[in-house]
Amino acid sequence: MNLKNITADKLVSLYANRDLSVTEVINSVFDEIDRSDGNIHAFITLCRERALEEARRTDSRIAAEEPLSELTGVPVAIKDNMNLRDVPTTCGSKMLANYVPPYTATAVERLRSAGAIIIGKTNMDEFAMGSSTENSSFFATRNPHDLERVPGGSSGGSAASVAAGMSLIALGSDTGGSIRQPASFCGVVGMKPTYGRVSRYGLVAYASSLDQIGPFTKSVRECAQVLETMCGFDHYDSTSADTPVDSFVKVLDQPMKDVRIGIPREYFIAGMDPEVKANVENAIRRYETMGCRIEEIRLPHTEHAVATYYLIATAEASSNLARYDGVRYGLREGGTGGLGEMYRKTRMTGFGKEVKRRILLGTYALSAGYYDAYYLKAMKVRTLILQDFQKAFEKVNIILTPTTPTPAFRIGEKTADPLSMYLSDIFTITCNLSGLPGISVPCGKTSANLPVGLQLIANHFQESLLLQVAHNFEKAGGFGNVSS
Amino acid sequence: MKISETDVEYVAKLANLEVHESEKKELAQQLSRIVEHVEKLNTLDVAAVPPTYQVVSNTKLAIREDRVQPRTGSSEAGKTVKLFKVPKVITER
Repeated sequence: MNLKNITADKLVSLYANRDLSVTEVINSVFDEIDRSDGNIHAFITLCRERALEEARRTDSRIAAEEPLSELTGVPVAIKDNMNLRDVPTTCGSKMLANYVPPYTATAVERLRSAGAIIIGKTNMDEFAMGSSTENSSFFATRNPHDLERVPGGSSGGSAASVAAGMSLIALGSDTGGSIRQPASFCGVVGMKPTYGRVSRYGLVAYASSLDQIGPFTKSVRECAQVLETMCGFDHYDSTSADTPVDSFVKVLDQPMKDVRIGIPREYFIAGMDPEVKANVENAIRRYETMGCRIEEIRLPHTEHAVATYYLIATAEASSNLARYDGVRYGLREGGTGGLGEMYRKTRMTGFGKEVKRRILLGTYALSAGYYDAYYLKAMKVRTLILQDFQKAFEKVNIILTPTTPTPAFRIGEKTADPLSMYLSDIFTITCNLSGLPGISVPCGKTSANLPVGLQLIANHFQESLLLQVAHNFEKAGGFGNVSS
Repeated sequence: MKISETDVEYVAKLANLEVHESEKKELAQQLSRIVEHVEKLNTLDVAAVPPTYQVVSNTKLAIREDRVQPRTGSSEAGKTVKLFKVPKVITER
């Protein structure tokens, strides 16, 4: 059985008709992992025994004719910065290599309550800091479309696992594009919901005002289903939005009415890969033939987004990562020379290069004398970026951009120059700064057969419209990775 | 602004990080380049612009009732033996 060609909704209907057993599917998932993951390296931890045990229990419930839930028996991989009780959460870091959480993240728990089976924890850039999954303390993940290239990051393991058919669905987290960019590089669907939609309880914090959990899937329908299951208020997350969750799945097939798509001139920059540009322009034409109105819009502060992001994210990270001091979590080094020495030795040994670099930058931006010049200024420019979007949404209700300026780059290509790596997030970080929902869907391939991603952005809490518009694009042309 | 190796040392101390002598030069160069990039924000006049700390305002926890709620995990947290045990903080002079 090849899971590359099957979607979650189809799988659940096969279970319902008793055409397949959950145990068979979970076994074949691990067979595929055994076959492919030696080359791709998407997983840090596998939950083989636990998943098979859950599969057997699910099969007996199906045999007893218990009703199936929307994700019954669906194999799901989760990024290794989300807690699953009694399974290590490493965050791709030596610091947490042996950390075993005593509770499960709300988002993961909600998927499990809907019947999903967690098969493993996926590789990531250490503490989600990176755009290529090369910053993992353990190993780099490779792009299933071309093993010499990166899968994107920081949720590269999750994206690669779905693209390679080693999981049906995966969860990632997106602080500056860490779901949408790898989705684009790996040719799958990836979405970051509105800030506050999905609980962050049980997600290891990187930059708390930007982080959101979201799904990787092969189709928009599955993405809508997973989101619908995960979204909603959670009293364990103080930034959880108290906003009703509509049925995202129900509205998918309704005809699109009055869709006005804005194309921001600032997102079609010099230096953009010409094949990426051509594929995105094709997508715009496809929407035009579907009857959507296309309008050029301006988001004038876009050029300042990377600078704003790297000040805010690193400042928040320097504060969030202060907790890794050898006392409460994971690693401890140098306990003999007193408390201060233990802090420093633990942090020197536990953190990798990029994490240290970002902690230093964030500490610098927050330090006495520089707070106003860097951090406060960034928070003000964040307001300008948000206002750009608010103005644009008076004219249009969807914004369309490329997800990334280039297709997947080569392993090692950007590791020596952190700034060039940061600039690869240029189109995705504005959504995080402004809290808007964004989705990346495949929109074609380059002549070298590398996937290209199309990003669609909607106003706060407009996930229904966003998913409907993305679904219509898929219906009109297909993504080429699901035989429906 | 250029970040010197002394700046790197100072900030590392604030962040409780130890930086190898061999890393200092490279870090100073990389951070200088990043800071140079973020200083492009200085071209904007933001004197009258309010800062944005959080983008979504419809949260309700700030005003929730302060009541003890049962919670998973807290009783499990002590399972790992070395947890919360730290070296001596106060030493004799």
